[in-house]
Amino acid sequence: MISDFRYLKPGSMKEALQMLKEHEDECKVICGGQSLLVIMRQGLVSPEYVISIKQLKDANYLKYDAKEGLKIGATCTHRTVEHSTMIRDKYPALREMEEKLASIQVRNWGTVAGNLAHGDPAGDPAPVLIAMNASVKLGSVSGERVVPLEEFYPDLFETVMNHDELIVEIKVPPRPAKTATKYQKFNLLDSDMGLIGVAVTVTVDGDKCKDARVVLGSAAPTVIRARAAEKVLIGAKPSDSVFEKAGEAAAAECSPVSDIHASEEYRRHLVKILTKRMAKAACEQAKISG
Amino acid sequence: MNRYTVINPHTKFTVINTHVHNVDGIAKVTGRATYTFDVVLPGMLYGKILRSPHAHAKIKSIDYSKAMALHGVKAVATGKDTLGAKQGIWRRYKDLCDEQLLTVDKVRYIGEPVAAVAAVTEEIAEKALELIEVDYEVLEGVYEPLDAIKKEAPEIHEGFERNINVTRHIEWGDVDEGFAEADYIREDWFRCGGQAHMCMETRAAVSSYTPDGKLTIYHSNQSPYYMQGLMAGVMGMREGDIRVISPYVGGGFGGKFELDGAIFATAVLSKKCMRPVKIVFTREEDFIASKRRTPMFYYSRTGVKKDGTLLCREAKVFTNGGAYTGMGATALYLTGFFHSFPYVWQKGYRYDGYRVYTNTLPSTSMRGFGAPQAMWCSEQQIEWIAADLKLDPIEMRRKNSHYEGYEVPGQATIASCGINQCYDEIKKWIASKGKLPKGHAIGLSACGFMSGGIFNWFDTPYSFSSAVVTINMDGTVELNVGAQDIGQGSNTTMAIICAETLGCKIEDVKVHSGDTDYNPADLGAWGSRQTLMSGNAVKRAAEDAKKQLLEFAYAQSGLNIIYDLDIKDRWVHSISRPERGSDYVDLVRKALRGKSGQRIMGRGFYTPYRKGMISPAYSYMLQGVEVEVDEETGKIRLCDSMTAHDCGQPINHLGLIGQLEGAFSMAAGYGYLEYMPYEDGKLMNPNLVDYHMIRAPEMPPANIAEIDTYEPEGPYGAKEAGEGLTNPTAAAIGNALFKLYGIQMKECPIKPEMVVNALKEKKAKGK
Amino acid sequence: MEKKTLTLNVNNQDYELYINPKTLLVEAIRDHIGLTGTKRGCDTVSCGACTVVVDGLAVKACSVLAMQCEGMKILTSEGLEVNGNLAPIQKAFLDEGAFQCGFCTSGMLMSASAFIKETKGKVTEMQIRESIEGNICRCTGYNSIVRAIDAVLKGKYAEGKK
Repeated sequence: MISDFRYLKPGSMKEALQMLKEHEDECKVICGGQSLLVIMRQGLVSPEYVISIKQLKDANYLKYDAKEGLKIGATCTHRTVEHSTMIRDKYPALREMEEKLASIQVRNWGTVAGNLAHGDPAGDPAPVLIAMNASVKLGSVSGERVVPLEEFYPDLFETVMNHDELIVEIKVPPRPAKTATKYQKFNLLDSDMGLIGVAVTVTVDGDKCKDARVVLGSAAPTVIRARAAEKVLIGAKPSDSVFEKAGEAAAAECSPVSDIHASEEYRRHLVKILTKRMAKAACEQAKISG
Repeated sequence: MNRYTVINPHTKFTVINTHVHNVDGIAKVTGRATYTFDVVLPGMLYGKILRSPHAHAKIKSIDYSKAMALHGVKAVATGKDTLGAKQGIWRRYKDLCDEQLLTVDKVRYIGEPVAAVAAVTEEIAEKALELIEVDYEVLEGVYEPLDAIKKEAPEIHEGFERNINVTRHIEWGDVDEGFAEADYIREDWFRCGGQAHMCMETRAAVSSYTPDGKLTIYHSNQSPYYMQGLMAGVMGMREGDIRVISPYVGGGFGGKFELDGAIFATAVLSKKCMRPVKIVFTREEDFIASKRRTPMFYYSRTGVKKDGTLLCREAKVFTNGGAYTGMGATALYLTGFFHSFPYVWQKGYRYDGYRVYTNTLPSTSMRGFGAPQAMWCSEQQIEWIAADLKLDPIEMRRKNSHYEGYEVPGQATIASCGINQCYDEIKKWIASKGKLPKGHAIGLSACGFMSGGIFNWFDTPYSFSSAVVTINMDGTVELNVGAQDIGQGSNTTMAIICAETLGCKIEDVKVHSGDTDYNPADLGAWGSRQTLMSGNAVKRAAEDAKKQLLEFAYAQSGLNIIYDLDIKDRWVHSISRPERGSDYVDLVRKALRGKSGQRIMGRGFYTPYRKGMISPAYSYMLQGVEVEVDEETGKIRLCDSMTAHDCGQPINHLGLIGQLEGAFSMAAGYGYLEYMPYEDGKLMNPNLVDYHMIRAPEMPPANIAEIDTYEPEGPYGAKEAGEGLTNPTAAAIGNALFKLYGIQMKECPIKPEMVVNALKEKKAKGK
Repeated sequence: MEKKTLTLNVNNQDYELYINPKTLLVEAIRDHIGLTGTKRGCDTVSCGACTVVVDGLAVKACSVLAMQCEGMKILTSEGLEVNGNLAPIQKAFLDEGAFQCGFCTSGMLMSASAFIKETKGKVTEMQIRESIEGNICRCTGYNSIVRAIDAVLKGKYAEGKK
């Protein structure tokens, strides 16, 4: 059962941050609440205060410019990202990821920032955004700081945010030329969280792979970069055997769990297969991209 | 989309098998339908159940004084506040009545009800649970049937040696002679998983005990009749002093025709405080504390001639009965019976089933009643035998199949059987698909199923159904049935039969069901009995009413005999000269005036007498499922399906299609999605995130070809449709994998990891 | 705990509520306003039986705080009909038999309605299936529901058609 709380409805982000500072140890911020309400119902968190930021229209934006790249506001929903033609053109991997995230109802109300703040290593946005070198801008009454998303998660369901901070913006740099990101998760049902998720970004230069990021979801306590797999790809001439080796490297460097859904061995096997496939798909897409 | 074909039989009806809307449709599509989940009574309290955290323990003491003292709590009850009656639906077999719904001395599964609280809000009731102090003496538990039958295993029920709850034996012919003659013998072990009913409406009840000693219960169930009788037993009351109302029911699937913790706890609490009490299970409670499909270990040994003639089969089955009997004894029998279907065993068949107690959630009936498990094993083994002997799997099945007039020795007479035509339809479909893409294969499975069990475990030895038809002054009809609509559309099916038989329009018929105060006795919805049994009762009641009505028309008609008259579509006419006639409503008015306002009432009753050991009639089907497998990950995708189906005369057209498609979705889940893992007696996935339910994107087309047959025992030739269809799909999926890779899946549900491991194993063997 | 007043507009009607702020939208609709068409079937935002439409968006009301919905237009299954005239999707459900026990039906209707309203031009069958992906049905196997939505999108129930 959800335990009682006092409900606060700030009129601006500034006011929200003040409230956050005032109640920092005993409050939670809610926007869509698609993750928060579940853990509150399970009794895992029972904040004295809940600060809603859903009503902050100024924080609901999705904008792009060629220099700064993409900026996703704090209260921007998954569905906005999914339906945006700008996203479809500039960051198609984000759209592909959103189309497979939970269900339409969850995407209509839940936010990307909220998803990132929740810190579930099985979540979809983090691997894709890390593969795109994204960062989060954290706001508090003392100011703002920017943290690369790949440094955002120190441990399972933990973030580096201080108690008086919240994610005010997600930033994704402009996509470099000849670069593509591909993401896939493995699940039994399309709407399930992934048993494993793999996001790969590849930049090609001529017939070689110039740069690569391989990011694994649900394969460790946090979302991780598979650096050994990246090393296999960087500088190599893309081929099926290279993709195969990258997959094997990723499988060896992650630490997935064994649970009722799959054994550790099978999860590693999935990491190998998905990494291989996403590396290949990203390379092919990068080659034909501008 | 489906490309479905429902083959219309030669007889054309006015209402039967036409595109009739579900009679509860308006209520259900406008948010007006109220379920037990929605019931609110004046002064109602909210109840919560305290459940055992241990799989096996003695209860030394329970102190609920602190809970009682919490402001807002109005009643607390434990087993000691009840008669402690051990109940079960097998009333005629006392030792199978083994379950106290609020246990007194001992808990036998994690989640078993130990105490219950009623309070002014749900939140207070939940807080009160934390204040109840239970002193347990934890005992060693045992969780698998093959462990529980060992000598050293802990005793779960006193007096049940080796924890063997029930045994069943089915035998005909001479199996040993058969094996001696066989050219080829194959034996296999299989493991069949459990499955959750996963009704959209969880278990729910509102009970109101009043100072006149009467109990009114709203309960989501499949049989108000059984609930009334069973509650009388456990409350020490007369049945007539208990009223059970089942408003709209949010699904049953075999899990809701026994007493559950909700109905019992609310009644006991209500009696204590004389206020209505409501309990609705959370989804988690529904997973851990409402019974499940029976997990089974199957051993099957089959002897055949090299031309594929089936000579004999010997099967031994150990079922995981869980902590109590439930409906498990019947599932034990039926699985053994249907493991022989749909084939003739030339020399003999022998089955021995052992239901074993374990400290896990009791297992019980679930759509298919043991047959899905039986077919998972049988239909795959048949396919493997065909491959071993290099025979065509369809023709091998066909030559051994049941046929009209066949007598299953000592068990059943097959009065109608369309399976032969099913093979032709499936062959047509397979041919139409042409060459399948890489990674695709079609798997097949045949089966048959009962149209209601002839048995009752209650006050009578045989099943029965009743109906009453009352014609009003304006020609509208009150149809009173004991048949229970749980979503399968029985209200509509009964209305269709009534309208067709009486000769009025479907919109003239008002169906009354789900209330023991107003409805005639009927065993309710289970074992696919209602279309045949309740349908027959309705047909007879309508015939009775029609005859009384026609007597008035006859008197004025000058015809030779009353049977020359009929009514169709509100038109009273002579059968030989149908254009000559008069209006039905007119006739009703005249007739009722002639009776001084007394309404015409017709009564109908049906009981299957001398109809074998199992069922008066059997449906048949052959299903093909096209599966795509990702060889590297083992992920299975269902692409297409076709079911050739014999249910005799289709009655409820839309209902039939819905049953076929719905059964497929549940059966597919059993085949590759809905695993229910237990660890030391604890269910590891009691929620819809970790328990996988098929959703719209995963559901393939479900094509249908109805075979035209006529079942003499059924109303207008009808038999069941909907439960039989839950039987074939798991095996069909397994057979598709066999076709694709030659791997033999021994365990269901099939997980992708199992496919990958099977492929690895095969590769290793090949080296 | 401090109760809050709140005005919710449901099916074009304003309701003034005085509630505990932790009240979920589904609880406000069912228990406080008394509209029981919307159901609940789980605690993990999985089953979709609680789906309603808020400002044109299908959402799971078990996972939305009522307090956040002030000023928004909420539509439930009871609000689909107009003066007793069924909405096209409701007629389609009747024609296709797109329900059995009916417990998931309100949620299905709302997911379908939102999808139909926001859809312009042609859609694939898979897109229709994905529109109800968040809604579990144990009874129908979904295909009849997909047929119903498809029929509405193809204009079978358009004004003026018989």
